[in-house]
Formats: sequence, C-alpha cells, structure tokens
Amino acid sequence: MTAQTFKERDYFTDPTVLLDPYGYFEEMRPRGPVCQLETHDCLLISGFEECVEVLRNPADFSSLNSLASSAFPLPFKPEGSDISEQIEAHRDKYVGGDLVVTFDDAHHTNVRSLMSRMFTPSRLKANEVFMRDYAGELVRAAVAGGGCELVNQIATPYVTMVVADLLGVPAEDRTRFEEKIAAGQTVGSIENPDAPTDMSAVEFMGAYFYGYLEERMANPGTDLLSELATLPYPDGTKPDILELVGLAVFMFAAGQDTSAKLLGNSMRYIVDVPGLQQQLRDDRTLIPWLLEEVLRLEGSSKATHRIARRDTKIGDRPVPAGTQVIVALAAANRDPRRWGDDANEFKLKRPGIKQHIAFGRGSHTCAGAPLARAEVTAILNQFFDQTSDIRISAEKHGKPGARHYKFEPSFIIRGLENLYLELTP
Amino acid sequence: MPHVHVTDRSGEESAIDIRPGTTLMQAITDAGIADLLALCGGQCSCATCHVYIQDDALAELSPMEQDEDDLLACSSYRKANSRLACQLRLRDDHDGLRASIAPEDL
Ligand code: HEM
Ligand code: FES
Repeated sequence: MTAQTFKERDYFTDPTVLLDPYGYFEEMRPRGPVCQLETHDCLLISGFEECVEVLRNPADFSSLNSLASSAFPLPFKPEGSDISEQIEAHRDKYVGGDLVVTFDDAHHTNVRSLMSRMFTPSRLKANEVFMRDYAGELVRAAVAGGGCELVNQIATPYVTMVVADLLGVPAEDRTRFEEKIAAGQTVGSIENPDAPTDMSAVEFMGAYFYGYLEERMANPGTDLLSELATLPYPDGTKPDILELVGLAVFMFAAGQDTSAKLLGNSMRYIVDVPGLQQQLRDDRTLIPWLLEEVLRLEGSSKATHRIARRDTKIGDRPVPAGTQVIVALAAANRDPRRWGDDANEFKLKRPGIKQHIAFGRGSHTCAGAPLARAEVTAILNQFFDQTSDIRISAEKHGKPGARHYKFEPSFIIRGLENLYLELTP
Repeated sequence: MPHVHVTDRSGEESAIDIRPGTTLMQAITDAGIADLLALCGGQCSCATCHVYIQDDALAELSPMEQDEDDLLACSSYRKANSRLACQLRLRDDHDGLRASIAPEDL
C-alpha cells in the first residue's frame, strides 16, 4: 500500500487503531520514520533510532505535553527559534503540567533525584516478601474458584497494594485508593475526546498524601514516604510539600494501569504462544526474558509526546520550534530496521532485547520500571507454583487462533480490558 | 564553566560542561554520547552506565553503596576504578575529572 491509496486514520480517536495500533503503525511506516500527520498538526515518529534520538535530547524537546499528548494545538503562537520561555509560561494550561513526567531542565533533575534510590534492587528485595505473600493469596483464591478475570480481579488490586506497601500507605486507606482508581477513566481515553485524561483520582489521593507527608516530616520512619519527606534536592534546598505530594501521587497513579496491563499482556502470550507455558514452568529464569519481549511487542504505553522548543533536527530532518511529536514507543519497538524482519514475532532471548523503549529512554525513563518487572515476576511465579495448567477462557475470548480481546480505550495505554482464565491446580 | 572529560568506546574524548546537581550519566547523555546506554535512567538497576574514573579523582567521589557494588559485580569488565555514572552527582569541584566508558556487557 502506498501513501496515496489509503485515507489516514486518526491515531487519537479511531477505534480500529485502538484495536490494532500495530497495523496503523505499519500503514504509516512507508511514509518514513518521521512523518507529518494529515489528521493532526504533529509528527509521528515510528523509527527506533529516531525515537531514541528525541528521548535523549531533552535540551531541544520539552516533555510538557507528555501526558496531554500532541492531539491539541499549542495554547500559544510559537515565536522565534527558541520557545522555552513561552512553553514554561503556559505550563498551567497543560494536563499534568505539575507532574514530574512533564517537567524540564533543573526542575526535573531536582525532582527526579528524589526517586533515584526508590526502586533499587535492595529496596525491592525488602518488598519481595509482601509481593509474594499478597500475590500468593490472590492466586490461591482464584485457583480455588477454578479461574478468574485477571486484569481487574487480580492485577489491579495487586499492583495498587504493592506500591502502597512500598510507599508506606496505611492499610486502612489502601482500599479507598483502589476504589477511587477503579472508578476513574483510563488515561488518554478516546471515549472522552475533550478531556481524555481525568485527574480526579490524583486529586483525591493528593489530600491523603499531604497528611502522610506532614506526619512523616514531624516523625520520620524508614518507609519511602519518610525518605521523600526528608531528602533534600541535590542543590541542598528542600522540596516544597506540594511538590512531594504531586510526586507520591504520580508514582501511585503511573504504576497502576501500566503494570496491571503488563501482567495481562504477559499472560496472554504465555497461554497463546504454543509451548511457552511449559517452557517457563520448566525454567523460571526465562520469566525476565518473557517480560522484556512482551514489553517490546505489547508495551503498556504506546506513545509519549514532546514539543520541540528550539529549532532542531531529527536525523537530517529540520524540526522547527513549536512542533509537537508523537514518540511512538510501540512502533519503534517493532521497527524492522532495528529488530529485523521478524520484528512482529514473539521470540524469547531476542538479541539486544533490553534496549527496547517500552519504558522510554533518557532523562524521563520510567522510574518504576524495576518495580514493574519485580512485581509481575513475583505474581507469575505464584501462578506457576499454584497451577499445573492455565488456559484462556474459550467461552469469553474464543478458541486459540480465533481469539477476541477487548483493549482499554486509550491512545496512551495498550492493554487488555479483561482476561478470563481457567486454572487447574 | 567547569567541565569533565569523557572518552567514548572509540577512544574519542569530549569536554562536557558540568551543571552542578546533575549526575555524570546525565551529563554524558545530554552531551549526545550514544555509547552510554543508561537503560534504567539512573535508578541503579541496569549497569549500562558503567565508566572508569581516572584514579586520582576516585577519592573525591561519593562512596559506593551496596546496590552499585552488587551491580558492578555482575559486569565482566569491572576494574578497581569502575563506577556507575548515574550514582555520581557532579559538583563544581569535579572540574577536570576524567572518565571513560566501559565496554558493553552482553
Ligand atoms: C509496565 C509498566 C510500566 C510502563 C510500560 C511504564 C512506562 C513509562 C514510560 C514510557 C515513561 C516515560 C514517559 C516519557 O518519557 O514521557 C514512564 C515514566 C514514569 N513512570 Fe512508568 N511505566 C510502568 C510502570 C511504572 C511504575 C510501577 C511506576 C511507579 C511506581 C512508574 C513510575 C513512573 C514515573 C515516576 C515516571 C516519570 C519519570 C520522569 O519523568 O522522570 N511507572 N513510565
Ligand atoms: S543508568 Fe542504570 S544503573 Fe546507571
């Protein structure tokens, strides 16, 4: 198919793109690794090299629109070859403009430094017992019932409780958070195009975190919230409490949908790829390799976004200040120039797999990636420990080879809305 | 402006300006040196920001914590002057520090 023979689908709103974003990206790839969209005034970056180049160039690319996306025009008229100041002046017009993932420069460096010790191997090790026990409980109940709906019944409460435990959220408040998160719409919803990202759950949690942080400032303990409440920035100054509230809440929210979807997406591959389930049961050290390949093929964040704040280039292509770009992580992770002709196929231990960009790259690389990997590994181990066979319900999803799945209606998140499993002890 | 000297895997050396408070990893990445993958973004989890520090500067750096030590222990290229660049926060008095990027572990 050439560029002339099809009508470009709308990445942000078309339900067929939602169902199969990879088909859309393959349709767009012949137009080049960086191409101007017809439907929106922005560039789509589908090439691996090009995505990495942009993500590693925070001097020229602002993250301000990383949550709001490139779907909306800039709220100002860009003037000149450097619009950094204009961008900062309009920060309050952006959804999530007060969250770390949208920060630039020194402000980002400062806030990011607070997270740099949060998910280290030793910290996660300390958390492993909780992960294993809680995952064990959830899986036991599911096996006793003969099966479960994995995404909402297990994955979401599991990842919520794990991050709550890690941060030190009191047990009595955890279920309240969970209910609020479950009631909210997903980020980047295509069902609500005027307000695709609803921040009400974030605001709700903020009130609680304010209380916790105030309390930890007065009586620091050893949990992560205490660490947050007492750490200075690298320049020696102390963060404002509201900054910390924003950060704590964001860590809570950012790890929800994404990690829950990683479990769902992984289980789908485990069951649907012939022979894979047995291979993993026989050798659990393959689980990390499975996760990386699933992250590459079905990463739970399809894309992030940037705004060129200076006249710059991507490869040889000039990009003027004010240009918005879709950094299509999911497209880059299947770019045949990077991954070869079998880029769309599942392959354990693919060479160079750790370089996929499902968690982004550069200064904003997902801070919670080590946690996501650890928590999903822990619960998969429980599934293998407690079952002899896991099947996807043919009644709900059709037979192998003719499955039908529902995906979260979001232009950000890629993941199953539900996954019904049958479990044999 | 104070700066550090970084040698990439092909032996090419660059002088990089220091913005105090950033890490050596960030300074190297921001300078566009692609050899330093820094896959975990500085979370002390990947060891792809492995560098060798010129010996006389080693003592001036913040001491190594257990996580960094454990990660470096997994590298086939560890030397006495190995550090993870993301664990080194730069100060003005690091002016003149020399580092080279370690070979890639597969
Ligand atoms: C499979 C699960 C996950 C995926 C696919 C994922 C993906 C991403 C991506 C792609 C980014 C970069 C966005 C950008 O560059 O614009 C990011 C940033 C971030 N993620 Fe995750 N994430 C996951 C889980 C988590 C978890 C569990 C947490 C925390 C507990 C978390 C916390 C964060 C934070 C704080 C940032 C912002 C970092 C910064 O701006 O410096 N994520 N994530
Ligand atoms: S960037 Fe991963 S350990 Fe330094």
